[in-house]
Amino acid sequence: MNNERYWGWVPTSIALTGVILFIFATFGPPASSSGFVTTLKGVLQPLSPEYVAGKEHYAMMPGPGSWLMTFVLGMAIGGFIGGRTMKKKIHDVPEIWVKNFGGSRKKRYITTFIGGILILFGARLAGGCTLGLFISGSTQLALSGLYFGIVIFAVAMITARIVYKKYGKGVL
Amino acid sequence: MDNLWLGLISGVLFGFVIQRGGATDADEMVKAHLMADGRVPKFMVAAVALSALGLFGLQSVGVGRVMVLPVSIVATGLGAVIFGIGWGISGYCPGTCWAAAGEGRMDAIFALLGGLVGTLLFAQLHETLIPLLYLPTSMGPVTLTDWFGEPGGVLALFVVFSVAVWLIGLFWGSPAEE
Repeated sequence: MNNERYWGWVPTSIALTGVILFIFATFGPPASSSGFVTTLKGVLQPLSPEYVAGKEHYAMMPGPGSWLMTFVLGMAIGGFIGGRTMKKKIHDVPEIWVKNFGGSRKKRYITTFIGGILILFGARLAGGCTLGLFISGSTQLALSGLYFGIVIFAVAMITARIVYKKYGKGVL
Repeated sequence: MDNLWLGLISGVLFGFVIQRGGATDADEMVKAHLMADGRVPKFMVAAVALSALGLFGLQSVGVGRVMVLPVSIVATGLGAVIFGIGWGISGYCPGTCWAAAGEGRMDAIFALLGGLVGTLLFAQLHETLIPLLYLPTSMGPVTLTDWFGEPGGVLALFVVFSVAVWLIGLFWGSPAEE
């Protein structure tokens, strides 16, 4: 029907561990915010090679012919396969958003666009994201990953309480 | 060329698993942030605890490549605050928005486009911000092993993360069991 459940935390954590260790063994620390730099480098390079060559942030990352690029494309394919093989409705606008702000797609899309700017700006400043810094870093026992992880969870929890005021029974 | 195929395979597996775990669903992520459902944070934290043990095992037989990123008090902290605000309002992070976009969620496609703009902005400001915010307070690539020694660091992480999973179970809701 329409309400197939997501995996529980135990099978998900075991499967995720398997994938993470496979990546460490065959490539190195997994990362996804770097894939944004790689994508952008691929877009900008043909337009203005001088700009890309003169910018340290592009110089430090490989271009689109790299593991980082195929990894993020693979994630989109994995998400596609996952979505198609699961009997669960996919929403363009989350239900909890509709409960709080109504069904306007425009409002939601503008918000996630701004959210996207913030997560990537923050990740590039810190040196990585949930995967590249928190998960990869903490797996390697890095202080950077642990510090980043604690702060992102704390700030996201406070932000969600401010933004999504209507929650609890009947909403979730 | 091998690397490209490995990246693709790794990405497909990773994207599939996080989709099945519900991390690509902003409803699930917001519920996690509101402490209404502990499932997603539990599997994230548990996966790190298990991966740390596994990576320790791999490294002891000489398998795997590691690269520890330095910690900068100001840049890592400020980056995390900006990131946390974006994650809290949208329910997406840089990895999940690729998988969620592939799943066909329109709001994730906008998060991805915004992400490209955020990357463009930071890359433009890199030469100003890194010397200003990152380098002065950088402590270098410190790890728990530097503090607690060879098996001590990994054991400390495993214990602390296991306790964290237990605490999430205690303080977060679990709608699935109602």
